[in-house]
Amino acid sequence: MLYDIRLSLRYDYGYPVAGGRHLLRVTPPTLPGIQTVTANSLSVSPEPGERRDATDFFGNASTALGFNKPHDDLELVMRARVKVERKTAAFDMSPDIEGLAGEVAAVRSLGAHSPHHFRSQTERLPHVPDIAAYAQASRSPGRSVRAIIEDLGRRIYSDFAYDPDATRVDTPITEAFALKRGVCQDFAHIMIAACHTLGIPAGYVSGFIRTIPPEGQERLEGADAMHAWVRAWCGREAGWVEFDPTNDMAASDDHIIVATGRDYRDVSPIIGVLQAGGRHKTDQSVDVKPVTEG
Amino acid sequence: MTTATLKASPRPGLARSYRPFPGVFDEMMAADGTVRPAWQPLMDALNGLKADEISRRFARADRYLSDAGVFYRLYNGGGATERQWPLSHLPLILDEAEWQAIAAGLVQRADLLEALCADIYGDNRMVAEGLLPPELIADNPEWLRPMVGHTPSGGHFLHFVGFELGRDRDGRWRVLGDRTQAPSGAGFALENRVAITRAFGDTHSAMNVHRLAGFFRDFREHLSGLRRSADEAIAIITPGPLNDTYFEHAYIARYLGFPLLEGEDLAVVDGKVNVRTVSGLKPLGVLWRRLDAAFTDPLEFRADSRIGTPGLAGALRDKQAAMVNALGSGILETRALLAFLPALAERLVGEDLKLPNIATWWCGQPAEANFVRERFDDLLIGSAFATGLPVEDGITKLGAAMTPTTRQAALRDLASNGKSTVGQEAIALSTMPVNLRSRLVPRPVVLRVYAARTADGWTIMPGGLARIAQTTDPAAIALQRGGRVADVWVTSPKPVDQVTLMSREGDEVVRTPQGLLPSRTADNLFWLGRYVERAEDTVRILRAYNSRLAERPDDRSGLLAMTAGYLKPLGTDPTRGIPVSLVDAIDDVQHTAARVRDRFSPDGWLALRDLSKAVGQFAPKIQPGDDAARAMTVILRKLTGFSGLVHENMVRFTGWRFLEIGRRLERAIQMARLIDTFADRDAPDGALDMLLEIGDSTITHRRRYSMTFRALSHIDLLALDPLNPRSILFQLAELKAQIELLPPRGETSARSPLRLEALRLHTSLAVREPAAVDRAVLDTLRSDLAGLSNLLTATYFR
Repeated sequence: MLYDIRLSLRYDYGYPVAGGRHLLRVTPPTLPGIQTVTANSLSVSPEPGERRDATDFFGNASTALGFNKPHDDLELVMRARVKVERKTAAFDMSPDIEGLAGEVAAVRSLGAHSPHHFRSQTERLPHVPDIAAYAQASRSPGRSVRAIIEDLGRRIYSDFAYDPDATRVDTPITEAFALKRGVCQDFAHIMIAACHTLGIPAGYVSGFIRTIPPEGQERLEGADAMHAWVRAWCGREAGWVEFDPTNDMAASDDHIIVATGRDYRDVSPIIGVLQAGGRHKTDQSVDVKPVTEG
Repeated sequence: MTTATLKASPRPGLARSYRPFPGVFDEMMAADGTVRPAWQPLMDALNGLKADEISRRFARADRYLSDAGVFYRLYNGGGATERQWPLSHLPLILDEAEWQAIAAGLVQRADLLEALCADIYGDNRMVAEGLLPPELIADNPEWLRPMVGHTPSGGHFLHFVGFELGRDRDGRWRVLGDRTQAPSGAGFALENRVAITRAFGDTHSAMNVHRLAGFFRDFREHLSGLRRSADEAIAIITPGPLNDTYFEHAYIARYLGFPLLEGEDLAVVDGKVNVRTVSGLKPLGVLWRRLDAAFTDPLEFRADSRIGTPGLAGALRDKQAAMVNALGSGILETRALLAFLPALAERLVGEDLKLPNIATWWCGQPAEANFVRERFDDLLIGSAFATGLPVEDGITKLGAAMTPTTRQAALRDLASNGKSTVGQEAIALSTMPVNLRSRLVPRPVVLRVYAARTADGWTIMPGGLARIAQTTDPAAIALQRGGRVADVWVTSPKPVDQVTLMSREGDEVVRTPQGLLPSRTADNLFWLGRYVERAEDTVRILRAYNSRLAERPDDRSGLLAMTAGYLKPLGTDPTRGIPVSLVDAIDDVQHTAARVRDRFSPDGWLALRDLSKAVGQFAPKIQPGDDAARAMTVILRKLTGFSGLVHENMVRFTGWRFLEIGRRLERAIQMARLIDTFADRDAPDGALDMLLEIGDSTITHRRRYSMTFRALSHIDLLALDPLNPRSILFQLAELKAQIELLPPRGETSARSPLRLEALRLHTSLAVREPAAVDRAVLDTLRSDLAGLSNLLTATYFR
């Protein structure tokens, strides 16, 4: 599937800020076996004094911006054309949990995609006994890791209500888990934490998803937002498997990856924007438009 | 002196009643009760002294420390208090031969740690080869992924490293832990040395004790060599005055002549690291950090850090500055690594460890976990990722010493999450003598030693910081739990080089640190000037008020009521002997001064502590009236003592100018308000006299205007007299002069808005007659001065 993607982030400070530095992770990378980026651009207004593109530890495209002049708003527009062609495994080649432990231990690497990065707690992923107990229900003797992942995702989808007003970007998972409500970020974090309690390496994926319009209706421009789902390491053979608990589905050709990491902190689209309240306003819009190849 | 004669006089004098613990190695006394040769000269010297002379000498060392303002911060409950530096007066003495073996072991270890760090932040061969478990790195909060794959500027990760050493039962030195993040204590070691030489100067020189200054000189040269050009600054970065070892940061900064900066003093611009100074951005080449890496850059590490510099990690990746030690080097402190260092030494430096570390078992491996479970009672059980010493983290416990609940929890942890647990052999530690109530008693000791990189490789400080437990329990070593410190003497059979960093060991270098005045420091000095003046004005008014209250408590004229009304908007209630607002004002002074501590002499700091203490003691008991008037005189004397010290001892450099500008600005504002109220036509009888008293101009006025007692003469003297150091015009002239001498900013510096405004304010008052200085003029002047303060802030502090 070929997409034209447009992401726009707008920050209205309401008063002039002297300067500032930001770190962005908004540009999708080419990922062999998943997606190919044929064109992309990132425009920033006002024009930053400094700009530097780099690749971070997990292989994500990052852009550092530096502003030296006072400005009272900031607008970022990322455009990319991405071809998504996922090679999906036909068979479940993942071991059971006991087998997985041995396969993890056999990995003697700390490369970006090594499962070792994705097993321990982070500030956003504390150990929550209630989540550990919740995860146990997805486990049964002999069940494959991939089957566990899918079951866990499906349960989160059905047990939790999608409610954008219930949580904020910094709501701890304990709270979202207790509420049984939230958005894609909360569901992804809870699912990752649950995987950790079962010994399954799991991480956070940020990206875009095409919203398929109901039949007979025009698709809504800009109705989509940045999305998040989960990837879990299902053993040497199966490798990383992505699952989207918000939509109860394995990542498909409708999922475009922007960044991967352990949790939201590793993939935040923008770090370093003033969070001050008052007149500060933010606005995000995403547009994922399928392109007819021809 | 031979061993035979030593044996002939066992345990003389002070040593006579000294009884080491059986089976524990003692530093001073061998198992047969003889004094070890390295200690003999000191013990002989002590024996030659009468008890009161010894006390006098110890007191001399303490006085030095207290005069030098050496202290540390003790945290308890919610707050922190400053405590006298807990120096134990007997040094730990080691002879050169033993020291050389330690030094050789530590040089090897420093090389090993450097190689390991390069691997952990490089291609992780040790993990690939199975010499390091991957989860020890991947789960480690000190492994900073943003720094992986980058070699630091200068090529090295480590430049300054500390090691914790202790002896086992057989007297062999063992490494207890490594300090690679931001090792503290080297400055305290220097201060200990200076203090102890005050007590035992004669013995110290007779014993050929190795000097410490050469070590710092070599390291300073090394830091200098890390710069890419000579115009780059070298600075020390600190978390700030609330850190428990901030005193030491300020001390080392002054000793080496480097500016002491905080995160907000730095700015990354065009990918380069700069210092924000009053003369604009200045390039920075080398940062010696006392700040944990996680706090250095909120964009890449802890987003909640308020003490970091956004963009710093990126600039370091681009090798735009050298960081001592590299961000991420804290991972080498991980306790579980001790389990793997013996094998890593063989692999990375091709040798066995010359100085073994304490045996450590990481329970992430089944065999090790089993071993620890079997020997649970004999081992120290703690966190695999801990970075502190087992004896001081307050959590690690000997299996046998655990309560049944703790023990159960620890065993459960071991079974379910072995990779976060280590077991370590509990070593006895040696003891050394401590003087307690005029008796020498043995106490466990841990030795911290420092290695610094130089052009010729690692150099080991010939000395260090001995930390002594308060009780016989080694866990009482932490300063936070009453531990003490001692100097460490390495003695030579031959006279030692008299190398010094400067003229005399321990003296501070007073150099202009590359002409660098950080904007934040200037801002603090400006406000310090304002706060001191504000406090002084308040004290003067309160003194005048209380002495009148003592004479005429009925206040028939209404003067006291008017004064109270004058003070009210300032938040001061004069009916209390020591108003709360005065205590707050003195606190403001002290807090602001604490933020620029590296700019003051210890005398200035002591004067301030003395002031604060006096006010604190007065506050609960002083009654309004005569009592308060006299207390105010005492406070005033102490306050002017502090200003006097600062003004007499601070070099007339840019920093002093900001202090002076703050003082003058505040005094002008206060005087304008005082005249407005007290010289008012409708003011009660006696107001003009009180104004003169507050303005310290009574005598001058009497002499000069003997026949006139009209308000105009008061206005002439206190507003317009160019020679009266309390008059408004005098302040404006001084403001104008100092502002002209500030470093130029921008292109139109000669006609900068700030200079023009200072000139305008001065001129507009200078041309006035006393009769023309009315309420409107004074009001305008006050708001213009507030505007001048804002202009100064915008020009220099932003």
